[in-house]
Amino acid sequence: MSNEDKHWKKDFPVNRAQSNQVSRRDFAKLLAVVSGGMVAGNGLIAARAYLADDKTNYEKQGICTIQDIPVGGTKSFVMEGESIPYILIHTEEGEFYAYEQKCTHLSCAVYYKPGTKKIECPCHNGWFDVKTGEVLQGPPPRPLKKLIVSIENEEIFVQHPKQENV
Amino acid sequence: MSSFRTAQENAHPQKKSMIMSTLIVVLLTNLLIQIWLLYTALNNALNSHKEVALSTFIASFILFLAGVIWLYLLPKNVK
Repeated sequence: MSNEDKHWKKDFPVNRAQSNQVSRRDFAKLLAVVSGGMVAGNGLIAARAYLADDKTNYEKQGICTIQDIPVGGTKSFVMEGESIPYILIHTEEGEFYAYEQKCTHLSCAVYYKPGTKKIECPCHNGWFDVKTGEVLQGPPPRPLKKLIVSIENEEIFVQHPKQENV
Repeated sequence: MSSFRTAQENAHPQKKSMIMSTLIVVLLTNLLIQIWLLYTALNNALNSHKEVALSTFIASFILFLAGVIWLYLLPKNVK
């Protein structure tokens, strides 16, 4: 290989105009590398979805008594061994619902708006149905994560639902 | 070079250049589709539909392979 043919001379040419030049082939190579990055990112999501251990505690946990939450009121809580905030809602119909208090759009805290039967995300005007957690309006892409609520002797218990496809 | 190839070059001198430009358009389109696949995979994985993550990964990999193979097979003298 002669001195003129060496690859580093192509990558670091003496002429400034040549060094600033990006050919279409170079641009296509860059696009191919970014495309490879997308594949890697997608692979990471797939690997995490299939290989990550499920450390969720599926046992019932007591939160408070019925009298602790007035009608239309809410109570924030954290499950044992977790740091994610949840919200327990006492609707005007006398029913209790528990959801993760993080909007599925950009993780803003969501709040129950009394009298509307809707949960509001004030950041980007997202709305969820209080009975199902489904998105009613706004940018959230997924429903809120719901917990199972049960009442025993006036005490309210919550637990994670069993994953069907784990 | 055969006379056939020479005749082809003379008949359509911009052909290789056009192939290169087309490749860039295809790569950009592939990239847009891959971004959408990534977004879909993430949303569905967070919603406990992990099988979507695998199928989107395979689709994204095929798009990547298509782009790389096309880039590899391009004539070397096209800038």
